[in-house]
Amino acid sequence: MPEKITFTVNGTSRTVEIEGSEKLIYILREKLNLTGTKRGCDDASCGACVVVVDDEAVKSCTFPAKKLAGKEVLTIEGMANGTNLHPIQRALIDAGAVQCGYCTPGIVMELFALFHRKRDATDDEIKEVLSRHLCRCTGYEAIYDGALLARKYLSEAVDR
Amino acid sequence: MGFKYIGKDIPRPDAVAKVTGRVLFLDDIKLPGLLRAAILRPDYAHAKIISIDTSRAEKCEGVIKVVTGKGCKLVYGDNIRDLTPIAVDKVNYIGQPVAAVIAETLPQARRAVKKIKVEYEPLPVYIDARAALAGDAVLIHENSGEFWHLPGIAPIAGTNIANRYILKKGDIEKGFEEADVVVEGEFNYPFGSCSALEPHGAIVWFHDDNTIEAWSSSICPFIIREELARVYGLPVCDVRVHIPELGGCFGYKSDITVEQTIAYIAGQVPGRPVKWVATRKEDFLSTLIGHGMRTQIKIGARRDGKLTTLKTRILHSTGTSADTGVHVLIAATHNSTGSYEFPNCYLEGNSIYTNTPPVGAFRGYGHQESQLAVERMMDILARKLDMDPFELREKNYLGPGKVTSLGETLHKTNGDMKECADIVRGIVFSKPKEISEDEKYYYGRGFAALMKTPKGATFSSKSCYLKFNIDGSVSINMGGAEVGQGLRNVVRQVAAEALQIAPERIRVYTEIDTQFSPWEWQTIGSMFTTQGGRAIVRAADKAIRMLKETASQVLRVGIDLLDYDGDYVFLKSDPAARVPVPELGRGYTFDDGRTIGEVVHTTADARLPRQSNPDENGQGTMGITYTFGAQACELRIEKETGKIIIDHFVSAFDVGQVINPVQIRGQVVGGVMMGIGASLHEELKFTEEGKAVNPSFRKYRFPTIKDAPGKQTVEFVETPGEIGPFGARGIGEHPVVGVAPAILNAIYDAIGVDFYEIPVTKEKIKEALDRGKE
Ligand code: FES
Ligand code: FES
Repeated sequence: MPEKITFTVNGTSRTVEIEGSEKLIYILREKLNLTGTKRGCDDASCGACVVVVDDEAVKSCTFPAKKLAGKEVLTIEGMANGTNLHPIQRALIDAGAVQCGYCTPGIVMELFALFHRKRDATDDEIKEVLSRHLCRCTGYEAIYDGALLARKYLSEAVDR
Repeated sequence: MGFKYIGKDIPRPDAVAKVTGRVLFLDDIKLPGLLRAAILRPDYAHAKIISIDTSRAEKCEGVIKVVTGKGCKLVYGDNIRDLTPIAVDKVNYIGQPVAAVIAETLPQARRAVKKIKVEYEPLPVYIDARAALAGDAVLIHENSGEFWHLPGIAPIAGTNIANRYILKKGDIEKGFEEADVVVEGEFNYPFGSCSALEPHGAIVWFHDDNTIEAWSSSICPFIIREELARVYGLPVCDVRVHIPELGGCFGYKSDITVEQTIAYIAGQVPGRPVKWVATRKEDFLSTLIGHGMRTQIKIGARRDGKLTTLKTRILHSTGTSADTGVHVLIAATHNSTGSYEFPNCYLEGNSIYTNTPPVGAFRGYGHQESQLAVERMMDILARKLDMDPFELREKNYLGPGKVTSLGETLHKTNGDMKECADIVRGIVFSKPKEISEDEKYYYGRGFAALMKTPKGATFSSKSCYLKFNIDGSVSINMGGAEVGQGLRNVVRQVAAEALQIAPERIRVYTEIDTQFSPWEWQTIGSMFTTQGGRAIVRAADKAIRMLKETASQVLRVGIDLLDYDGDYVFLKSDPAARVPVPELGRGYTFDDGRTIGEVVHTTADARLPRQSNPDENGQGTMGITYTFGAQACELRIEKETGKIIIDHFVSAFDVGQVINPVQIRGQVVGGVMMGIGASLHEELKFTEEGKAVNPSFRKYRFPTIKDAPGKQTVEFVETPGEIGPFGARGIGEHPVVGVAPAILNAIYDAIGVDFYEIPVTKEKIKEALDRGKE
């Protein structure tokens, strides 16, 4: 039986009908037309689908839609403020970390959750969260540099 | 040479849309009335189809149509027509489409497809070329002798041989007679997957007016368009193909992969668009895979290190069809010389049908497979000659005046192999090894030289449409696919330089649409910068000429007296006599309103000059633009586990001219990582029955950030070429070519064990170490 649930996406309250085993990625992409969240695998291994749910980075391909009620979801579409990019987005561009861009939304959201939890996350902590993401293009060097730059931009934003 | 916009770190034009998730990839496209398809794959890798029962699937909720291949007569392929969109009465590999369900939603289609029942009669399965070549092997294609094929490519009827390419240079027997030393070995580069993060997908829509519209995650819209038109008997102009954003390619989104299958399925529901996107498993098994090449190599040399002869024989397990793999094999064969001049060659490449997914392009296109062999052999030969491996290589490098296997004489403008080698050598080998072993690790260093040619086709044009806008800004439209490599920015920077207009005033196309985009063969072979860039320069020259023609009427002087600087067309002898470019772009308007001159739109194309088909010796003008490079690594092997840790990886390429430093470094760093994955971890494995062992990211295991080398050093030599824009050559594929031999040579340096195949996993190292202890 379809069931109705209400949750917040990028600050707006949304109500959707869900069926038994649907995952968050399906709700976002197919029902809410938020296609910035990507699917890259079938076995929860690539991280392309990562979004932030109640401040935690989660893989939307495994997160059951049923558990969404009352939660706050942040997706890549909620990161920039108009044409003002979020510092994490800016940093990834400045570091040359964007090639095909398919892994990028998941990585932005992962870093957002990390820096939200710990603005001065260590290099190792950054590497650890990035190791949950596959990127076939960059060889990771620029992504890692971009993450370090994001940490710098964020601390500068606070100091300002 | 002083450039204004070339060689500068200009930010890429697509970065903002990508970092905000706004770009549309294939799966993001929604269309009115869109239906979804799911495809059934077989239980066997080689079997006759006895019956298909679709009745239960048809009754499922949301199902519009269940499709089988019964009676399907369509065949396709642009090199060898040995492909069908769906299995007809026999399956040949584990990823083949057997039946499909079209439904309103994807979950409905997936549920229903499981309800299709198929009865099979299994046949013997051949995973490896050697088995398919055995005398008693069953034929995978009984009618292979009847396949249409391009000239010079041909299946050998009555065998599983899809094509045999033979290259002869000089006299191989004489070469061996002259040799004081002969070394030989057999090397294997197993199946792999390009595994772009975005899986393949396609949407096809048979319109009511008997036209076809398609969207695909492909880099060859025009081949898809031409093949769909041919198969469905339509004029090419009635097929429209769109290419949305691509989430990586690395080769396997070239040629036709899934589009004919989705067209066949969508053709059953004319009037409604049908979308299909691969699951990751399907992306591994039902598109194109890579490699599957076994290289037998025999080299003769004189005592002084001069190479006398090369004999290679490559067996390629090309999969169920050879259409997409045949040129990979040809490239592997004639490039099996690596960066060396062999006066005598006999090089033989065999494409063999096997019960595996079709092999297609994989970044490197045959070069890494056969150069693994030659580069390992150079180290082995140096040992046998008791000669420094650098000295041995230097005696034989290709360069000005040297003749390649294809019979092409090289010039300075083809680049400087030795300089690349010297740079890498200087960085890694200038000092003796500090340490070769400690309590925990063995330490090793290894080197490989490399050479790459594009492997184009004689008709492989790239074209450019250039349009001046009313404010003097410029729009550029081309058919080259941006897969992440940064092509659009290369287009922008080359156009900026050619037109002397700031990149911010040049807008480059996003989507490719065969209705509006100029024709392009396909974006492969690291050729876009070279050929596409030349096309841009040509289009820009034409545009400047048109601006000058109009200005010559305004200023009433001969056009030869005029010059152009991006802002003005002006009189050379008196620059104050000038017309601003924006006033010329749409013709010039006099004060009284009368206008003269043409609207400045130009078109141009470029291909590799004088590319030919192979002659009776397999030689010809087929390399044309050669690129040389060198790579080396410093690694550690953990004694306890056999784990390999790459501490430092160094690459140097002669790219002619760097266009964008950040982007080119990104290409090399990413390519090296891909090569490391292939060398140490990646192998797409099949059981003897042809079932896939590891078609998922978890099991296939491509590198994560934790596998990245401690450090990568990337250097460029810039010996300008004559074909590409401002001297530039391609670089997309080259970074993978020397990685495996550099690593395997370093492994030998560390532990004294020669490996002849990849991946060299830690288990294999451990085993070798334990064997050594016994
Ligand atoms: S889609 Fe790959 S982890 Fe979710
Ligand atoms: S940029 Fe292409 S997968 Fe990361």
